[in-house]
Amino acid sequence: MTAQPAAVVVDHEVAEYPSGSRVWRALGRNPSFWLGSVMVVLIVAAAALAPVLAPHDPDQQFRREGLDAHGDPIGPSPGFPLGTDLLGRDELSRLLYGARSSLTVGIVANVLATLIGVIVGSVAAFAGRRVLRIGRRNGPAIRIVLPIETVLMRVTDAILSFPVLLLAIALVAIVGPSLPLVVAVIAGVLWTGVARIVHGRMLVLRESEFVTAARAVGVRTPRIVTHHVLPHLSSIIVVYATLGIASTVLFEATLSFLGVGIPLPAATWGQMISQHLGYYDTDPRLVVLPGLAIMVTILAFNLLGDALADALDPHHWR
Amino acid sequence: MKPRVLTGRWSVGALVIGLIVGACTPAASPSSPAASQPTGSAAAPSESGPAASVATGQGGTLSIAWNSDIQYFDPAKGYDVVSWPAERLIYEQLLGYDTGTKLQPLLADGMPTVSADGKAYTVKIHSGVKFVKPDGSVLREMNADDVVASFNRVLDPKLKPSASPVSSAFFGNIVGANDVIGGKAETASGIKKIDDLTVEFDLVTADATFLNILATPFASIVPKETVHDSAEVAKSPIGTGPYVLKDYTKGTQATFVANKNYWQTGQPYLDEIDFKVGVDDNAAIQQIEADQLDMMGDPLPAGSFTQITTDPKYKDQLVTHTLVDTDYLFMDTQQPNNGPLSKPAVRQALEYAIDKDNILKLVHGAGVKADCIFPPDMPGFDANCHPYTFDQAKAKQMLADAGYPNGFESHLYTDTTDPDPSIAQALQQDLAAVGVKVDITTEEFATFLDRIETPHKAPLGWVGWFQDYPDPSDFIDPILSCASAVQGGANAALYCNKDVDALAKAARGETDNAKRLQEYQQIQTMIMADAPWVPVRHQVWFTLVSTRVANFQIHPVWQYDLRNVQLKPGS
Repeated sequence: MTAQPAAVVVDHEVAEYPSGSRVWRALGRNPSFWLGSVMVVLIVAAAALAPVLAPHDPDQQFRREGLDAHGDPIGPSPGFPLGTDLLGRDELSRLLYGARSSLTVGIVANVLATLIGVIVGSVAAFAGRRVLRIGRRNGPAIRIVLPIETVLMRVTDAILSFPVLLLAIALVAIVGPSLPLVVAVIAGVLWTGVARIVHGRMLVLRESEFVTAARAVGVRTPRIVTHHVLPHLSSIIVVYATLGIASTVLFEATLSFLGVGIPLPAATWGQMISQHLGYYDTDPRLVVLPGLAIMVTILAFNLLGDALADALDPHHWR
Repeated sequence: MKPRVLTGRWSVGALVIGLIVGACTPAASPSSPAASQPTGSAAAPSESGPAASVATGQGGTLSIAWNSDIQYFDPAKGYDVVSWPAERLIYEQLLGYDTGTKLQPLLADGMPTVSADGKAYTVKIHSGVKFVKPDGSVLREMNADDVVASFNRVLDPKLKPSASPVSSAFFGNIVGANDVIGGKAETASGIKKIDDLTVEFDLVTADATFLNILATPFASIVPKETVHDSAEVAKSPIGTGPYVLKDYTKGTQATFVANKNYWQTGQPYLDEIDFKVGVDDNAAIQQIEADQLDMMGDPLPAGSFTQITTDPKYKDQLVTHTLVDTDYLFMDTQQPNNGPLSKPAVRQALEYAIDKDNILKLVHGAGVKADCIFPPDMPGFDANCHPYTFDQAKAKQMLADAGYPNGFESHLYTDTTDPDPSIAQALQQDLAAVGVKVDITTEEFATFLDRIETPHKAPLGWVGWFQDYPDPSDFIDPILSCASAVQGGANAALYCNKDVDALAKAARGETDNAKRLQEYQQIQTMIMADAPWVPVRHQVWFTLVSTRVANFQIHPVWQYDLRNVQLKPGS
């Protein structure tokens, strides 16, 4: 199969798209799926139930009982299961609320990015080049070529090649840091990947026989895209969005680490690391715990994403 | 004094931007080891550098690490914590300080004589002082023309990349200075050459602080040929100091080597001093422990603070000093739209709201509680000045009486340098406890300075002020006078009280020192009654030096004065 031209592969994919039950069966056999989904469920539950699970208000500074005589954070103790941070706040509570920040950003930014990416990719693939005709019906006319596809995809490339951190820092300098800004920055960059993939797949599907058939019976292009082509892409979009959550969580942590993320005193994992960097030697707990939280979350979504990718990959079914 | 952007002296948290400095120990050159034996072969001196042949004192190479790079090698411009210690090696002023804050002659030959009306200062300058180029060769001897040119250079509004940050604030009182600053004249008529070795300064009004101003690095004497472009000066800085800049790689290292043609015998002590810039605090500590580095220009970071200050093994390597600095929460006293902070009663209430002991605990005790404006060691400091004490119940009551029973919302700004974000969060919780809900924004230092020097862009802010010179006027005129409550001024609280201004003006011209200090204490009491700031702490500096370092202490004005540092023999 390696020698087959891409179009043939896709025709095959179109023809033998895995059915729902086969997908589930494949997933059920894959330990990555079970591990990943259990972890994701636990993380989402921790975030959702943070107000119930957290022993303390994550922003409450326990100045007497939460700091030792030197003013340093204290280690795990009955009142603070995972100890306190440099302001005497409960570390466990901050980790739980940090999951909220990370997942909120991860999910909202990804939904936005996927939407934008699908729209841009579809429009680019199916609009292609449009000719604008100005003038009388039968008389002389001016024809303007609108290279919609070229423009959209080159803009995508431009954004892909833009230094994202620089953009984020510049925006924060102008607008000031906030949760919506973090979501906007991440979504504003992440959609480009989705757009490229959707565009590439659609270029192939555009030429397939069922699209030609739909055209032949007079189905209009928007409907072809939404009802005939997009369903074939749902698997890849789901996989991409799942894996995207992992990179988004990391990116949010990076932004917060650099001080251009969600403003203080909100608990976010990236900020928890950056605030305690100086403690890596004397109290590594303060850096390791949020680092582990980031790692586990990314791992969970990656496992889940990979399992989905495997299960939905038509080549798997040969 | 006219308002100027006094960016440099802001001290923010750990990062004391801007120190001042002045002096040297030259005149009373400490028991110069009459020595010219080059014992300092230990730490390989720069290869062909002039240092190799000099070796007065013990020689050797000292290295010091800094977080930030040197901003300027131009004394008319430099106003930050790294530039000043660098300038201190290359340049000298007419006057300087001893190891404390006592003024003494440096390039001047004896203290200046002052006319009876206090307006004319005549300065004899030392003969035989040589300007030395970076390659170690002598440019020529210094004379009165250089002194006149140096002062006019600081006033030059066309200085590149921008005028001196203190031209008007420090030198505006010289007759004719404001014409030069305003571009109406090339030279100030009040800066006069009397003969080749005598200069006279004429002042508009008598000013007790003028001698201190002569000791600031801005008053460094440079050759009259020096171009009015800081970038060009950085390539080849020429001064009269004990070291020359041999090599500078931006963002990495500046190498200073001994000036073998230095005009004072017995100095310099070392062959070479290396400024390593862009070094992280934790990395610096590790390098000092490994004897790969001698000093760090920044204070101990929070994470290793307790370990280092409590472990007896570091006892002899720890250097500590209470800085002449006050860190405070400022409030916009002219908050627009009749905002809550524009009401004295509200600001007074907030004076009771802040748990200062907690903040001192957060910084591991690296501070002295501040209740008033002047720091200890500043003339005018009043140990009995405690107008407000911590009492949140009282604060709440006062807010209710002022018409804010449910508090109000506001915004607190600070910079991103540790421990300032932590302190801001502690302030936030204190304010919330009395019903004042604030959001926090932390900004990169330069952005933050720009914000607080723009009226009404920060209703609340956390910042510090470090002395430029040991005189109480330096804590009033630049940061709490009406003239400084303007765009570009350093009066972040926009505090303006005409009575205070009038008294400050009188105090500045007062020649009876005891009376003068009394007036400043009165000013302090009046200002605290208006409550433009909640003073919180005076910083105490803790830093680590290697086992080789001898004779280093934090200078009250210069902070890092590396001229007197020596390396222990055999190390």
